[in-house]
Amino acid sequence: MAAATTEPDLTPSRPLYDGKLGELYVIYLRHLVLMLLTLGWSRFWGRTRIRRYLWNHFAILGDRFEYRGRGIELMVGFVLALLMIAGWGGVMYLVWIYVFHEKPFASFGLFDIFSLSVALIGFPLAYVGHYAGLRYRLSRTRWRGIRCGMAGSAWRYGVSATFLTFANAITFQLLTPVVSVNLARPRIANTRFGSLPFVFSGGAGDIYGRYVGYYFLNIIAWLVALGIFFTAIGGAVGGLGISFTEEEILKLLTRPSLRAILLVAALAIGLYLVFSLLILPLRCWWQAYLFRYLVSHSRAGNVLFATAISTRQMWGFLVLNYLIVVLTLGLGWPWVMHRTLRLIAAELWLYGAPDGASIRQPTDLGPRYGEGLLDMFDVSGV
Amino acid sequence: MASMARFYDGETAQVHDVSVRTTTNELVIFRLADAGILARWPIGELAVLGDVQHEVTPPIVRKGFEARLVVDDPELSRQLASLVPQLAPLAGTRAPPVQRIAAFGATFAVLVGLFWLAVDYGTEYAAPLLPYSLQVKLGESVFDELTADKDECHGKAGLKALNDLANRLAKAADYPHEIAVHVMDGGPVNAFTLPGGILVFYSDLFEQAKDGAQVAGVMAHEIGHVVHYHPMKGLVRQYGIELLVKLVSGGYSDLLSTLASGGNVLLALRNGRAFERDADATGVKLLEKLEVRADGIASFFEQMLAKEPKDSAAVAGIWSSHPPTTERINATRRPSSGTPPFTDAEWKAVRNVCK
Repeated sequence: MAAATTEPDLTPSRPLYDGKLGELYVIYLRHLVLMLLTLGWSRFWGRTRIRRYLWNHFAILGDRFEYRGRGIELMVGFVLALLMIAGWGGVMYLVWIYVFHEKPFASFGLFDIFSLSVALIGFPLAYVGHYAGLRYRLSRTRWRGIRCGMAGSAWRYGVSATFLTFANAITFQLLTPVVSVNLARPRIANTRFGSLPFVFSGGAGDIYGRYVGYYFLNIIAWLVALGIFFTAIGGAVGGLGISFTEEEILKLLTRPSLRAILLVAALAIGLYLVFSLLILPLRCWWQAYLFRYLVSHSRAGNVLFATAISTRQMWGFLVLNYLIVVLTLGLGWPWVMHRTLRLIAAELWLYGAPDGASIRQPTDLGPRYGEGLLDMFDVSGV
Repeated sequence: MASMARFYDGETAQVHDVSVRTTTNELVIFRLADAGILARWPIGELAVLGDVQHEVTPPIVRKGFEARLVVDDPELSRQLASLVPQLAPLAGTRAPPVQRIAAFGATFAVLVGLFWLAVDYGTEYAAPLLPYSLQVKLGESVFDELTADKDECHGKAGLKALNDLANRLAKAADYPHEIAVHVMDGGPVNAFTLPGGILVFYSDLFEQAKDGAQVAGVMAHEIGHVVHYHPMKGLVRQYGIELLVKLVSGGYSDLLSTLASGGNVLLALRNGRAFERDADATGVKLLEKLEVRADGIASFFEQMLAKEPKDSAAVAGIWSSHPPTTERINATRRPSSGTPPFTDAEWKAVRNVCK
């Protein structure tokens, strides 16, 4: 006798993003004007307004997200981080006075000690800030009136991320799959929608084969790109019979003529084209694969996620967005945010719907203040 | 009045399609399916979260509760806004963005221009107004940093001679504060100025100088920096431009700051060259005012150029913090008339300040 089973509901759906670029620009330009008038202190409120707009124009299963963070919370978080750094400065001052000051072996100043120590603690603290900032944003995010949240320790994440990044650097990036998966796991698996935890079931072993292929293809692509570039320059210089004396080169560097500037710009574009044709597509290919893997190995209860994001789309996300920001001197930020949310809405698939009755409002309200460390180390996006 | 909206109870993630009805003192929320009452919210406790400029459908809440009522129907929103004063924000509309973008964009461009002018020209007037005690503190802390690995020289007579001349020159320029001269043992053949009237000489400069007039020339040049508050102006300009870049990028990206730092370095170097020209001219003027030999600046540069014929400042062009040396020699060349800046005993003490 067969047991009665029910087929899980796997109805596919995609998010909806219906923000308008013009409206986003109104909010952003207002934010920039206020930034100039307040010497930057309005940024906490500006960010909050932009988030409110973006969150509420993004919907899943017909229900829009809400962002309920407040500018004052971000400002208090920033001031607390500032005080923390000031406290650290005080500790370094005492170390300087009692250990190094007027000692013959101390061929460095207080500022050197402070800068070095901040650089050292800044690296792990940026990761701590990244995690804590994510926790803050999730705690201020609601869907269907239910708060999201994030468990886990930001400090543990900071230590783990620092260790993994360091280990990856000394092994010539061969640990990248381990780093990617082990940094994604706590961020995904600690995410909560109300009482519903997200689940991540990925493992670095699954993606190592693809990564090794990417790793060696990358080396070959670099060699080929450099070969093409130098052959092209050598060919152009040799073919035109151009030769430079030391003085001419110096003059070119110190008093560049308009022709020289245009030539350098043309060379830069050529370099960009060669590298963008060989190196960046490979990187985008790997990133798209990694992203697809991470998404498809995540779920929230009975809701499964998937994406078919392509190398070309990842190119648009990583490279074009970068160029937009740089070439517009920062004024392209709203466009980048708009493009990113449109990409997510187009490429993220959800299978199934959450069982609303079983998901409860969490009892904790999340952190009282947010993103201080993120702001301090300037690694914060929207 | 009855129409569709969505109700989230705030306890679970269930969605209820609802209709709403207002009475004189309540907003009643009914389940659409069976007309069962889901909530009765007192009118006085209603509020709207957010506004229509940022949210498509700002949720209605009962103050102090997690539940939300989201009204998608614009007509129903308008009706609720007209019936309940607290729900008035629901009636707002979004103005077409083009005009607002133009207005904010123009304001932004004007503010960037004003900020730039304030930083580039305002520092000319604002830097001297900074509390002098602050300038001294800043100068002293930078001095500690820069000279941490150097030995300071304490020859009393030499330091007195240097300080006397420095303060005479500063007084001639009506500079109201005391100048403090420090001498560090060794090289390079150089001197520099810090905020708060702090002058630092390296003793190699005294060994290389042909006579006291050359040291006086260098000192007059440094006093030129002091009386024009060049160190403070340079600092304020550099940080001002950095701040502007940060503000223009919306505080989101350090990417632009990195890109802009290259431009800022070039700007600082351009400022540096202008400051050097100012300091040369002022230095010569002050020496002439005191009727002290003013040929020292040009002759010191000539000596340096003879030693190193390739003029590094001219070679470096836009990357140099100083104008080309030949240009400076031509601008500061003066006859060797005037009284010597130091007596023989003073000059001897200056040369022996580190011994």
